[in-house]
Amino acid sequence: MDFFNSMNVSASALSAERTRMNLISSNLANANTTRTPEGGAYKRKDAVFAATPMRDSFDKVLNNAANRDIRQVKVMQVIEDQNPPRLQYDPSHPDANAQGYVALPNVNVVEEMADMINTTRSYEANVTAIQAAKGMAMKALEISSK
Amino acid sequence: MEIKGIESGLGIGKVFSDGGAGKIAAPAEGAGKFFNELVSKVNDLQVQSDKAIQGLASGENKNLHEVMISMEKASISFQFMSTVRDKALAAYQEVMRMQV
Repeated sequence: MDFFNSMNVSASALSAERTRMNLISSNLANANTTRTPEGGAYKRKDAVFAATPMRDSFDKVLNNAANRDIRQVKVMQVIEDQNPPRLQYDPSHPDANAQGYVALPNVNVVEEMADMINTTRSYEANVTAIQAAKGMAMKALEISSK
Repeated sequence: MEIKGIESGLGIGKVFSDGGAGKIAAPAEGAGKFFNELVSKVNDLQVQSDKAIQGLASGENKNLHEVMISMEKASISFQFMSTVRDKALAAYQEVMRMQV
């Protein structure tokens, strides 16, 4: 059933967008975190998406021209943003350095909100794609009804 | 002039010879086997969807969309199977309606 391939591709996109949403939540929750287990302030995290071919068996993928060029989405790695942290002058803070500056995370809340909207819309778009594939399958079944 | 059968004269036999040879020999067996395979495939999909739902309820499977998609796949294939059954029944009744 070829509709299932289209649904599997959209399912991979839904998983990837959910992972990205988790990272955005982590960034927003830790927007003011000065201490991390790795040391230093929290660093903004982002996901790297990669296109991978369908995980079908090799000959099935090659033989079916419709499936040869389809790519699934996969989260390859989670990278940390290498921008320098925000420095704020607060000598009384327990995490202040020698000059009295506290390193705050390099998380821009407005950017994270925009990313969150982006992720939500992408998720909804993929759900619509799944519904469209399902609608096409149902229509095909209607061929036999009067 | 050689009297050939209708099938070979119009080339219909050649069109269906590869796939139809087995079926013409034992049409009831072929259709039954095909239906059995279809039923077992549909059953596999239903079992998968059941397992996915259980996994989600117990908390070990955290992907809600995977569960929904497997449920949809099971539903679509089940509807396809019942359509095939309707067609088979209609064909059977058509045959039984033939006047002897």
